Amino acid sequence: MTSVRIIAIAVVLMLGALSACTKRSAATSPSNDLLIVGYDREPDTLNRFSTHILEDIQTCVVEGLTTTDERMNVVPLLAADVPTLQNGGVRLRPDGGMDVTWTLRPGVAWHDGHPFTSADVKFTVDAINGPNYNPESTDGFDRISSVDTPDALTAVVHYKEVYAPYDIQFIRGTLPKHVLEGRDIDRAQDYNRSPLGTGPYRVADWKAGEYILLERVPHYWRGDESPRIRRLMFKFIANTNTRINQLKSGEVHVVALVPWDKQRELAGLTSIVVHRTPGNAYEHVTLNERQFPPFADVRVRRALIHALDRELFTKTILDGLAPVAHGPIQPVSWAYTDRITRYPYDPARARTLLDEAGWRAGANGIRQREGRPLAFTLITQAGYAIRENIAQAIEHQLREVGVDVRVELHDGTAISALWFEGRFDAMLHWWQMPADPEITTFFAADRTPPAGRNINYFKDDALTALLYASDRSVDRAERTQLLHRAQAMVSEAVPEIPLYSVTRLDAVPASLQHFKGNPTNTGIFWNVHEWEIK
Amino acid sequence: MLRFLARRLLQAVPLLFVISGLVFLLIHAAPGGPLAIYLSNPNVRPEDIERLRRALGLDRPLWQQYWSWLAAFAGGDWGYSFSDGRPVAARIVERLPATLELVGVSIVAALALTVPAGVVSAVRRGRWFDRLTTAAAMAGISLPAFWFGLVLQIVFAVGLRWLPSSGRTTLGGGDFVDHVQHLVMPVTVLAVVQAASWSRYLRGSMIETLAQPFVLAARARGIPGRDVIVRHALRNAIGPVLAIVMVDAALLVSGAVVTESVFAWPGLGSLFTEALARRDYSVLMALLMLTSTAIVVFNVVADAAHALIDPRVVEA
Repeated sequence: MTSVRIIAIAVVLMLGALSACTKRSAATSPSNDLLIVGYDREPDTLNRFSTHILEDIQTCVVEGLTTTDERMNVVPLLAADVPTLQNGGVRLRPDGGMDVTWTLRPGVAWHDGHPFTSADVKFTVDAINGPNYNPESTDGFDRISSVDTPDALTAVVHYKEVYAPYDIQFIRGTLPKHVLEGRDIDRAQDYNRSPLGTGPYRVADWKAGEYILLERVPHYWRGDESPRIRRLMFKFIANTNTRINQLKSGEVHVVALVPWDKQRELAGLTSIVVHRTPGNAYEHVTLNERQFPPFADVRVRRALIHALDRELFTKTILDGLAPVAHGPIQPVSWAYTDRITRYPYDPARARTLLDEAGWRAGANGIRQREGRPLAFTLITQAGYAIRENIAQAIEHQLREVGVDVRVELHDGTAISALWFEGRFDAMLHWWQMPADPEITTFFAADRTPPAGRNINYFKDDALTALLYASDRSVDRAERTQLLHRAQAMVSEAVPEIPLYSVTRLDAVPASLQHFKGNPTNTGIFWNVHEWEIK
Repeated sequence: MLRFLARRLLQAVPLLFVISGLVFLLIHAAPGGPLAIYLSNPNVRPEDIERLRRALGLDRPLWQQYWSWLAAFAGGDWGYSFSDGRPVAARIVERLPATLELVGVSIVAALALTVPAGVVSAVRRGRWFDRLTTAAAMAGISLPAFWFGLVLQIVFAVGLRWLPSSGRTTLGGGDFVDHVQHLVMPVTVLAVVQAASWSRYLRGSMIETLAQPFVLAARARGIPGRDVIVRHALRNAIGPVLAIVMVDAALLVSGAVVTESVFAWPGLGSLFTEALARRDYSVLMALLMLTSTAIVVFNVVADAAHALIDPRVVEA
């Protein structure tokens, strides 16, 4: 009898617990009172200069002098205008340097009411270049010699040399001088956990491991009409399946960067729209010439790209979500050109090229030259279903032309160390490119690690000279022409194998109005002040 | 009893010292480091990496890093997190209540399943209840926690919408019912998986004990069957199982890593996952030392509990 009684009691208790639970559902509808965002990680800090992931949360709180819009144009935010050569905001000095004059939007105040002025711009530069702070990157700031503040709304930034991406120098925002002056900013947890900004929201609560809650500021500078949505909640849900489950159950309303293999799961939901934004990143195979010398032969590189049916990859594995990429600059960029060499799927051509390069078919079907097989390892990051499938497809298709590929998976931290030290043959990955089309760091001969990200260890002096010339031009027309030539040269030389342009998928409520998306790491919240649930 | 406890705890100090050295070496041997995350940003230049390396003290020889960590740790200073710059102790303390809540409730629930299942299936060995619990235990042991958790989510959160699929509280909720709702699924996963193995141990231990002469003697003296099982047999049989329960509990306190991550439970387990991904050495060291200490302490507690049940243990 004992066992039966125990089971009976347990069943009654379970039913009791469940019936107590059914009284309330955890799901809520998105509303102008509260929008819940499922977020894949908890930010380490909200100080935008301490972290490189331009976190969506910061975008809602801290504003830059400029931002990038849905078509990747640099547009003014706290600046009245984007300075250019044409409008006199940029002046080239005879000594090779340049001066950029930022005119600030009048009437903007920090959330504590303190006016936002050019002194904050100057303080930001001094803090980043100074000894009291360890920002993540000093890129660009290290080229600034000084900042003048002739009046409260004018900041003149003096560069030691011409710096082409000057227009996004302050895209991450500025640091409030009246809060941080004289302090150890790395340890200024009041600011780093709840930054003072000028944006539409402020941090209301940060529950470690659970969520960050933002609430609308009372008097946003765009007017009391915006933002429309009163509170934004960012819930930290690291597990992708759980995040997608919450979207389906209505416990979260927005998920940015939906993994591609989850897109079909969401397609049937009427309450959710999955927005597609052509991205500014491209998946590609890096060919490390230093580690695997056969890659140094352009015939081998061209053979590899001809051997891959990239159209098939995008149609099948990618479900048609992304177009084939042909180079490092994507169609969304103003610097993009399609006047480049393309390599259609042509395994016969691949075989001929490999034959010409001296790689003859061996006994086991693997090509050999001077007794050494054409065999290399392809590393990629574990945990991305699509990427793992692409790696297998590459392995299969290259095998068809007699190239032996072995796929190795590594976790994200381990793989960074591997590529930074150049200890790999080939790597499948992508770069998230900034809004500025600078590609020097990836292809200039002198920018191999640690000096840059040329992990192909590719060396071409003419291309290098061209890339540096493009970096030293602030004339859009001239820079466009230089970058077009650079893209043509890259496509001729095939230092790496571009696979596809990354498309961003963002799941938002069907009732959300004025969602625009964003191809860069500025993220989808750049126009959150316009969002409205209807 | 007190001397017994003091002796056991003193023995643990050199052990923990050796563990700290091994753990330090192991986590530094893992590829990548706290700076790896910065490498993927093309705007982080080599000068920046060098500057950050110096600022974090990662440019010093490994033995120096270990020595300064050990000196500070022994003095109660757990250092600062490499990822967010906050004190490690603060990061752990803010996560501790969530883990204690989850693990505490799970252990109670698991024991509530273990004791009746283990005892009854031992007493009625080979009968239908025994066969049922054996099958259930095999299923419970074989279930991967993450898969079990996701299935529960799909059924109870996405399908039936009875329960929240993750987190600890609802915004604006936080009352008792809301807490219980959030606990149901993660506790179910942890309790079922633990009870599955614990009930097997208890069953085995009970079967062994029931065959002992003193049980027969008790029956012969005319003691009622239930008293023989609970007062005589169970009391002897539960000792070894308690030791296993305590070690498992120690491991759980340091983080039910998989379950916490599936249910986005804001405890030490999810902190460990984050710290591991970032190679946040200071947080990892503190968490691993916490686990080691918990295992040592819980073992001593298990011994003490065993000693209370069975005084012969202290003399041994």
